[in-house]
Amino acid sequence: MSPLWIVRRIGLYVLVSVVLAFFAVPMLWLASAPFDAKPGLGLRWPDWTSSNVVATFEHPYALTSLVNSLVLCVVATVVTTVLAALAAYALSRVRIPGRDLLLYLLLLLSSVVTGTAAMVPIFVMMLQLGLINSQLGTALVISGGLLPAAIFILKDFMDAVPRSYEESARVFGASPRQVLSHVVLPVARPGVATIFVWAFVNAWGNFLLPFLLLRDVGRQPAAVLLRTLYDEGGSANLTVIPVFSLLYSIPVVVLYLFVNKRYGFRFHGGIKS
Amino acid sequence: MDSSGLGVRRAVGFVAPALLLIGVFLVFPALWTLYIGITDYRLTGPAAANPRVVGVDNLVEAVRDPLFTNSVWLTALFVLGSAVVGQNVLGFGLAWLLRTVRPGVRRLVEGLVLLSWILPGTVVAYLWFAVLSRDTGTLGLLLGSPETAWLVRYPMTSLIIFNVWRGTAFSMLLYTSALAAVPPSQLETARLVGASGWQTVRDVVFPHIRGHVLTNTLLISLWTANDFTPFLLTAGGPDHRSEVLPVLIYRQALESGQLGYASALSILLLVGNLAIALVYLRLLRRRA
Amino acid sequence: MASITAEGLSTVYPGGVRAVDDLDLEIADGELFALLGPSGCGKTTLLRTIAGLEAAAGGAVTIGSRDVTRLQPGDRRVAMVFQDYALFPHMTVAENIAYPLRVRGAAKSVQRETAAGTAAGLSLDGLLGRRPGQLSGGQQQRAALARAVAASAEVLLLDEPLSNLDARLRLEARTFLKKLQRELALTTVFVTHDQAEALALADRIAVMDAGRIRQLGTPREVFQRPADTFVANFIGSTPMNLVPRGSQIIGVRPEYLAPAEEGLFTGVVSIVENLGVTSLVTLDCGDEQIGYVVPEDDEPPVGTAVTVDAPPARVLSYDRETGLLVR
Repeated sequence: MSPLWIVRRIGLYVLVSVVLAFFAVPMLWLASAPFDAKPGLGLRWPDWTSSNVVATFEHPYALTSLVNSLVLCVVATVVTTVLAALAAYALSRVRIPGRDLLLYLLLLLSSVVTGTAAMVPIFVMMLQLGLINSQLGTALVISGGLLPAAIFILKDFMDAVPRSYEESARVFGASPRQVLSHVVLPVARPGVATIFVWAFVNAWGNFLLPFLLLRDVGRQPAAVLLRTLYDEGGSANLTVIPVFSLLYSIPVVVLYLFVNKRYGFRFHGGIKS
Repeated sequence: MDSSGLGVRRAVGFVAPALLLIGVFLVFPALWTLYIGITDYRLTGPAAANPRVVGVDNLVEAVRDPLFTNSVWLTALFVLGSAVVGQNVLGFGLAWLLRTVRPGVRRLVEGLVLLSWILPGTVVAYLWFAVLSRDTGTLGLLLGSPETAWLVRYPMTSLIIFNVWRGTAFSMLLYTSALAAVPPSQLETARLVGASGWQTVRDVVFPHIRGHVLTNTLLISLWTANDFTPFLLTAGGPDHRSEVLPVLIYRQALESGQLGYASALSILLLVGNLAIALVYLRLLRRRA
Repeated sequence: MASITAEGLSTVYPGGVRAVDDLDLEIADGELFALLGPSGCGKTTLLRTIAGLEAAAGGAVTIGSRDVTRLQPGDRRVAMVFQDYALFPHMTVAENIAYPLRVRGAAKSVQRETAAGTAAGLSLDGLLGRRPGQLSGGQQQRAALARAVAASAEVLLLDEPLSNLDARLRLEARTFLKKLQRELALTTVFVTHDQAEALALADRIAVMDAGRIRQLGTPREVFQRPADTFVANFIGSTPMNLVPRGSQIIGVRPEYLAPAEEGLFTGVVSIVENLGVTSLVTLDCGDEQIGYVVPEDDEPPVGTAVTVDAPPARVLSYDRETGLLVR
């Protein structure tokens, strides 16, 4: 261990500490402010209290919006996962005419047509269909946006399931439905779980689409309500915002811990997982 | 015959529901943008009931509109600063440095970087709003200048730093897996001949991950150009100084009600996306 | 229990490759039958067409007295073991073995009993609760066999059943497989590219090439009298000597050649390869190289001149044009 080596190691750890601080400092507020008797915007050691939690639970829309988030998210996630799994399986196994072109277009669509680029026509379409303020409609719009990438990634997983598993089941007399439920889905479960978590995190955090399409505050999800809360400003909301942010973040953090433990964060063709 | 025994007809039945949703909520809106973009369609008033086709007038107006040119310039700055340079460099740096630190430290850093990526956008926007605000904001306290309203004084710099914080995880993950594919024997050879860290990166690592750098740059540029989160932090202000294209489109469409004009702006964004995506897909194909 | 018949059977892949080409074949009830050939000869496709996993483009497959050509795989009463065994990784050994019964909706108790009974017959007891990933290669192979047996099918199809085992285990498994087939007396068709495996196991062998059968016969017939030069080349652990003489090709197996005063070939010993209890000696005879096998300790020194001969009944002639056996 030469002196140069030691200097380098120290330099390395100083650098890593700076990066660590950069990522940690904004997040620490989320841990301290919810339980601080006089929560401010700055970071400080809190005077512990649970009154903020009580205030948040008494807020007229806080819990409603979390329930709305859950409804929106569950519908969008389930629709995305189920439809993507069916489509990916069929596309992986059957040479439907035009399959390769379809896959190419799906890949292109998933990157080109973003919610931002298509917000005007989506808003106009839902307005004319009378689906503004429809949670189901909003959930389906979110699904439509997630599906191309979901199909593409799940197809990779389905392609990796050995064909001999299905053939074996078929020789023993399994119907296509039994092949799917007994063999393919259980074997492809890591892929299905990946898509489920990915769709959930995306739908849970989605702000733009519910912001555009859900105008009634009683139907808005947490993402939109949080924005409303801090747009109004005022110190009164500082008791609600921290706790509410924390509650709103917990499902994502739990999922993150679950995925990290169960599968580890791996790379799936360029998506959040 | 296919291994699943589905047959073409049943397979089409499996694919159809997904394609229906994609068709209605993605393909149709994209195509409809093209039509709305050549009309004077408005949210309210006479043009709301009977929009008139105005052809390329909207596009011509956009090019002449200082707000639009300002916004294109800001978007380019945002993409270049936070994605092409910021996320790319920090992501690679983390992937490279974290190979050699202790596993506990590595897990901690990676965990925080990933968390900043998956937390809901509205939450992280507020976290940064708190850090950057005047009077009691954490940054002001740390630097001893509590009276600075960072988001008002330096809106674009704030957005760029915010987006580096928010999005570096993707680049870090991608470069980590790319670095794992560099043959260890080549890294060891570089060490044996006494190459410095920088020489090793330049001569051994970079040739291996060139494709990944390009892929990563294209993807994060695309996502950053379409990111709506700046709206949550600055809403384009103050005085249009941080009005990137997605925010401009939103404000033109829903605050000014000029749906036709906003669609024309969307078309320009779609064309930009398409250009990046086509390059990306060619790259994928060549690698496959 | 049933015989298998293929009449004029063809299987065509997209792109027009005729993997099985107008093929006729009869496999008797209770027979252990080998489909042998190099890779790409169509042997696996033929097996999969019998199973119903590939659709026949022409001709018919009959099992017993039932024409199964248009039936789904599950309706053909066949059982199959795949090359990679295709044991379902998320099910235990017991669940895997009982899977054919589960598909038919058998009661849970029946499933359990059958799994336990079949496993005992294949010395898998004690492994019923494990997952396939926790089994050795040999155990996986037996679990796959057990699942096929539990299906109580009329016909057992095996795709390269021994190829995933290492060399030592393969011999053991070969003996086990033959014993099991004799006990069950179940019509069994297996695919292999290993001629030694086919010779050792099968009652009869079909040697295939380019989607057709080159020769059909017992192991002895195929070994002693290969029907053409392709089969002659393919069968035997040391390659047959094939020497052009005028309009014919003379074929003699190295094992049938022995030193003699006068004989078929004379040459100089160039290489001696030890095969264990025997050695393979290579003679340089002008342009040709002739191999013959000698018992251990009888190897001639390199460089000596040797003449070798074979009993007339073991010397075959092939037509030089067609490659077919003349005599």
